Amino acid sequence: MNLTLRVLILNFTFLDVTLCLFRDSMKKIHIVGLIFIAFAIGAIITLASDYSQYETFSGAKGETKKDFEVVGFLSKSKEMYYDPQKDPNYFTFYMKDKDSVECKVILFNSMPQDFQRSEQIVVTGRMRGDDFEAQKILMKCPSKYKQDEVVLSKPQAKS
Amino acid sequence: MDIQFEGEHLLAGQIGHLAIYTAFTFSILAAAGFFISSFTKDTEGQRSWRHFARAAFFIHGAGVIAIIATLYIIIQNHWFEYYYAWEHSSLSLPLNYLLACFWEGQEGSFLLWMFWNLILGTAVIFIVRESQSRVLSVFSVVQVFLASMLLGLYFFEYKIGSNPFALLRDEMQNAPIFQRADYLSFIQDGNGLNPLLQNYWMVIHPPVLFLGVASTLIPFSFAMSGLMNRDFSSWTRSVLPWSLFSCAVLGTGIMMGGAWAYESLTFGGYWAWDPVENASLVPWLILIAGVHTNLVFNKTGRALRTTYIFYFLSFILVLYSTFLTRSGILGDTSVHAFTDLGMSGQLLIYMASLSIPAMVMLVIFWKKIPSVRQDENIWSREFWVFIGSLVFLISAIQITFTTSIPVWNKIFGTNWAPPVDNVSHYNIFQIPVAVAILLLSASALYLKFKNSDLKTFRDRMVVNAILALLVTIISAYFGEITAPENIALLFAAIFGVIANLSYITIVLRGKFILSGAAVAHFGFALMLLGILISSARKDTISYNNMKINYGKEFTAEQQKTNLLLYKNAPVQLREYTVTYIGDSAAPPNYYYKVIYEIFDSSTGKLKDKFTLLPNAQINPKMGLIASPDTRHYWSRDLYTHVTSVPDKSKTEIKAEPKFSDHTMKIGDTVFTTNSYAILEDLHRITESEKVKIEANDLAVQADLMVKTLDGVIYEVKPVYYIRDYRGYFYDDMLTELGLTFRVTQIIPDSHAIVLSIAEQKPEKDFIVLTAIVFPFINFVWLGALITVAGFLISMVRLWQKKKVVKKKAELVSQS
Repeated sequence: MNLTLRVLILNFTFLDVTLCLFRDSMKKIHIVGLIFIAFAIGAIITLASDYSQYETFSGAKGETKKDFEVVGFLSKSKEMYYDPQKDPNYFTFYMKDKDSVECKVILFNSMPQDFQRSEQIVVTGRMRGDDFEAQKILMKCPSKYKQDEVVLSKPQAKS
Repeated sequence: MDIQFEGEHLLAGQIGHLAIYTAFTFSILAAAGFFISSFTKDTEGQRSWRHFARAAFFIHGAGVIAIIATLYIIIQNHWFEYYYAWEHSSLSLPLNYLLACFWEGQEGSFLLWMFWNLILGTAVIFIVRESQSRVLSVFSVVQVFLASMLLGLYFFEYKIGSNPFALLRDEMQNAPIFQRADYLSFIQDGNGLNPLLQNYWMVIHPPVLFLGVASTLIPFSFAMSGLMNRDFSSWTRSVLPWSLFSCAVLGTGIMMGGAWAYESLTFGGYWAWDPVENASLVPWLILIAGVHTNLVFNKTGRALRTTYIFYFLSFILVLYSTFLTRSGILGDTSVHAFTDLGMSGQLLIYMASLSIPAMVMLVIFWKKIPSVRQDENIWSREFWVFIGSLVFLISAIQITFTTSIPVWNKIFGTNWAPPVDNVSHYNIFQIPVAVAILLLSASALYLKFKNSDLKTFRDRMVVNAILALLVTIISAYFGEITAPENIALLFAAIFGVIANLSYITIVLRGKFILSGAAVAHFGFALMLLGILISSARKDTISYNNMKINYGKEFTAEQQKTNLLLYKNAPVQLREYTVTYIGDSAAPPNYYYKVIYEIFDSSTGKLKDKFTLLPNAQINPKMGLIASPDTRHYWSRDLYTHVTSVPDKSKTEIKAEPKFSDHTMKIGDTVFTTNSYAILEDLHRITESEKVKIEANDLAVQADLMVKTLDGVIYEVKPVYYIRDYRGYFYDDMLTELGLTFRVTQIIPDSHAIVLSIAEQKPEKDFIVLTAIVFPFINFVWLGALITVAGFLISMVRLWQKKKVVKKKAELVSQS
């Protein structure tokens, strides 16, 4: 909110100054245009506060009110748990962030498609205790579109 | 070391290479020819250069067609010695998806783009007279760049383009297999088309979208032609039908992408503000703004400069989105993954070479472009249309700004992440934008160009607004739409629907051919109404029946999206009684049969019953790839897809079951823990679906009826057969009950068998399902179609008008 206010004040100053300087040579349409530009800049700067930084697990620790985005890799050696017969909305796995810190991630949803093959994961959520509770998950699987792996098979005898 | 490789079809590749070089070289010649023709003073020189350039353009076109044909032949014949065929197709792929493999790769999509440019360019040659050479010079330059994307040549260590005719053994030189002359006989199959893309939408969506994308070049080149010969305004009349065509096709392409996502992918909606979706939306928004300012100029002589800006910007944004989606820069932020072919530098040069000259020329000639000094009337159509265009621009700026986060990170070395809540980040900005656009598009038509009668305008608007307000109050109350921004949008959309309908009926008196704008505005309002209702009132009905509490911080939505359905165990979802009754396999797809029944609440009578078949591919490479199945009602959709299914390959590996033997005759009964089985028949069989029976075998099948204590009846048919004096058995299993039945022995003397039954913990079959109700989603599709129809009506109208003008001119010149 604070930021919005500051942006608004900045905008009106900008508008004021331009209007004072060019009052005589301005047309209605120019004023409208300026208001639009001011509005757009203001809105974009305000909305830019939505942007977050990619965090690490240690960075997300301690702050439980805000959501973070953590980039990392699936720890393939550790166990993934999903038992739909017990609970179809509970999936856990271990993930290593960019600092190689490993953390258990809990996702209150089903296991995403093609999860094991993911090469990079972005999870959105927050820490609770030692676990990271994710609301959203995004995976990068280059293999989907590119897989340079020639599958070889023996030539079949021609009959 | 020279190896003579066996079995390769190298001729096709050689033809392909030749075609690429032809297409590339002749696009340069065409560009040069059209340029010289444009800047030659004498008409004779203009004509001869134009003829030369046209010939070059057509030879270039023949080259493009030859590339496409050769590549298609390679894919169709499964010549896996070619990297492209190996990478994108496989033997098992049905014929209709071969086209989809064609444009799955980047090279193929550049080819598609070139193909449409070729068609559009040819259309320009035959239709446009005055500015033909200048327009086509821009077209040819674009073709030069696109053709260069296919060259695959090395130029001082730097690779230019990626050649679709590259050989597999050249692309992967390090693999030892390629040292063998007979390597091809080891490569039995290609990589295949991504199962997510094996879908009829993949066959029709890319061509339409690329036609839309390619057609944005027309307004761009017309605007360029205006600057090139300093006749700044005469092009604006001939371009308008083309621009409308482009709006219609690009809009269709974008909506088709949404329909594809909704119908066969599982993001649970048609629009997710994904960077790749945004990249196609933004040029469309700008193009629409351009069409509107173009119209304003044609009617009033205002807003020409803005028209230049919009037309330039829309194609530049097409180039920018090509860069975004093809350079791999979006990797972290988009669900659409794209390969980086190492061409980002080349893509940047392509973008710069077209946008910088356009912008520079615009700056140079800015003062000379005619504009009206006088202030416009506030109560004129042009004033509000102009403002509407600015609103479109602002909308586009915000979408582009956030979509470009990865670009900002690259340029400024920052580490920004896209907004945590992507959808609300866009919605908070775009809902007010949509409200503004809707209000403007509803009222601007009631104003006249230059000056309007304020009283009539006010009277009509008041009636429309009161009507809309009433409908809004009623529908917000009954539709339980409570958020203030949603109510504002609801009002604006209903106002748009009503005002445009009454404009068509009352003001135009139903004159269809004049109604293009009003029809498009009406469709747009209807579409936004559908978007609002279907997303605000989207209802996930597959609530979690496990009653597990995750804590207060999590909203109900997050907990309750996936539902476990055991086979044959009905579950109540709102008014639906939902039963999963089993799967059927049609490899690679598995269809999960789910029955929905609606019973009348008071009488208990069955009111409606239908079956949905959400399916999934159990793909060895990728795991579960689910596809939804949807029940369409006129007023809502019931959308379902599976999110998890038991891994049947795992359940097969189990400890050897313990059998207990029972000697049985026909009619005998045997009890298990939860069921009993009756031996109904014993008979010799000569063929069976389950086991292959040979001519000399003696095979006996036991027909058993198994009834559980709940009264569910199953049939099992174990088989015993003697082959070469040895006895074999083929078990029949009831996995739901955990029972295995086996005929261990036949006792011919007493017409009896020894039936062995093993009991295990029942392996319950189940699916995990998500079910969502989207109310009034049909308004989205219908609205989009009507909007496109509106563009087309306007286009036809302009075309007719132009013909009339031409005829008049001919008559004048004759007399």
